[in-house]
Amino acid sequence: MKNKFKDNIFTYSLLAPWIITFIVFWLFPLLYSAYLSFNRYESLTGNTNFLGFENYTRMFQDPIFWKALTNTGLFAIIAVPASTILALFMAVLLNSKMDGYINSLLMMLGLPHPEKGWLLEPCTSLLSIIILDVWINAGYYMVLFIAGMQTIPAELYEYAQLTGANSWQKFRRITLPLLRPTMVFVLLINTIKSFQVFVEILVMTKGGPMKSTTTLVYLIFKNAFDHTDLMGYASAMAYVLFFILLILSILQSKVMKEKV
Amino acid sequence: MKKIILNSILILLSLMFIYPIFWMLLLSFKQNPEAFNSFKDLLVSPLSFINYSETFSSDSFGLYFINSFVIASFVTIGNILFCTTVAYAFARRKFKISKILFATVLGVLLIPGHVVMIPIYRLMVELGWLNTYFSLIIPWLVSPFGIFLVYQYIKSIPIDIEDAARVDGASDWYILFRIVMPLCKPILTVLSIFIFLSNWNSFLFPFILTSSEQIRTLPVGLAFYLGKQSIDWGHLMAGASISATPVILLFILFQKQIINGLTSGALKD
Repeated sequence: MKNKFKDNIFTYSLLAPWIITFIVFWLFPLLYSAYLSFNRYESLTGNTNFLGFENYTRMFQDPIFWKALTNTGLFAIIAVPASTILALFMAVLLNSKMDGYINSLLMMLGLPHPEKGWLLEPCTSLLSIIILDVWINAGYYMVLFIAGMQTIPAELYEYAQLTGANSWQKFRRITLPLLRPTMVFVLLINTIKSFQVFVEILVMTKGGPMKSTTTLVYLIFKNAFDHTDLMGYASAMAYVLFFILLILSILQSKVMKEKV
Repeated sequence: MKKIILNSILILLSLMFIYPIFWMLLLSFKQNPEAFNSFKDLLVSPLSFINYSETFSSDSFGLYFINSFVIASFVTIGNILFCTTVAYAFARRKFKISKILFATVLGVLLIPGHVVMIPIYRLMVELGWLNTYFSLIIPWLVSPFGIFLVYQYIKSIPIDIEDAARVDGASDWYILFRIVMPLCKPILTVLSIFIFLSNWNSFLFPFILTSSEQIRTLPVGLAFYLGKQSIDWGHLMAGASISATPVILLFILFQKQIINGLTSGALKD
């Protein structure tokens, strides 16, 4: 009996860092955020007024919210296929000759140099940020694709060679179907990341010009920290983002299970 | 012939990826780069180290560098220690709430920080931790990504070694820190690199949770630099190059471990 008690003390002291971190920095914030989303909160005075669903109804009537949601969706619709196709293309080329040194070059990270003209035009500003995003992320997806390709047995290609298949047929009939789990994983991760785009926008355009680069996360940030009374409203938006990402994540874990 | 075409495409793509880095370095080595009218003039003008020497000697940049380094180091050490203890408990100990608790790890792995930025900010206000190292270190000392990574690794280690040690009379703590942890060295290397780099590059929380220059980190410092009225590109790019140096160095040294980490599951920023 005493041993069992000692055992439990050992186990829970090992787990304590996670239990504390989870409760204080994840569970409590999520609950508190839900509470805030039903209230009007004034950051200067600390006054809270219960509003019920008013923040949510207000959001769905707010043209800026729809604009931000559209921008975010547009971002994902362009950035996800662009970076996935570029990454797949590079992976195919590199997988045919794994030399290593070119990998290093492609993977290097760095800070971008913004082009003023493009960012100041509403019609090209979002596109500029998409290009930057593709540049930042394509290398990561390429590495995932290469990892996926290396699990494809070489015999399949040898057999295809014997039957006289050309490179495109090998890619279309062997690589692409067997890469499906990696492909779905990349597409989902890529979409989830696109819904979170923030830093590039904050640093490069501040949501402008004419709100053309205001995305969901940027709008949440702006409402929460640039106004004194919109934290509750921003929390409601954060919850909408949370549910969008939750659905995408559940989809992703379903797909991952399928893979295993 | 085919090989030549393949190689040229690869070189072209590499150039596309290196081009912005080349720009960054080029501007960082030119005095007053904005004074040049054409790219050609800029390219042929003499190289100079003045941006670097001035950036290094400015008080604030050194301060940002130290802040970033201290924060990233503490968070890395915390993760090495705590991810191991938590992962070990999940992998080897039997306890009642293991399923629920493991689900919380996987759940948090999927939640992006953006969703909780408002409540975390409010919490830090209440704790009085705004503009302190605490707010940038304490919440991140144990990451779900790290727990999951080390958990999978411990699962792959044969339990016999631990059993043998237990028969020899080794205590639980001894087994964990003297037997299991050394065996985890390869995965802890991967974890350290990832945690260090993600905290070194981290922007969102350092940006929200600090307003004082005393506690500012490098990425936030560079962003503020960009926000000034007239951008001094030479100094900005020297600063960016300096802050990218540890990233590039770590990548060159640990390329294999970084790629292992990248492919071992979903990663969070």
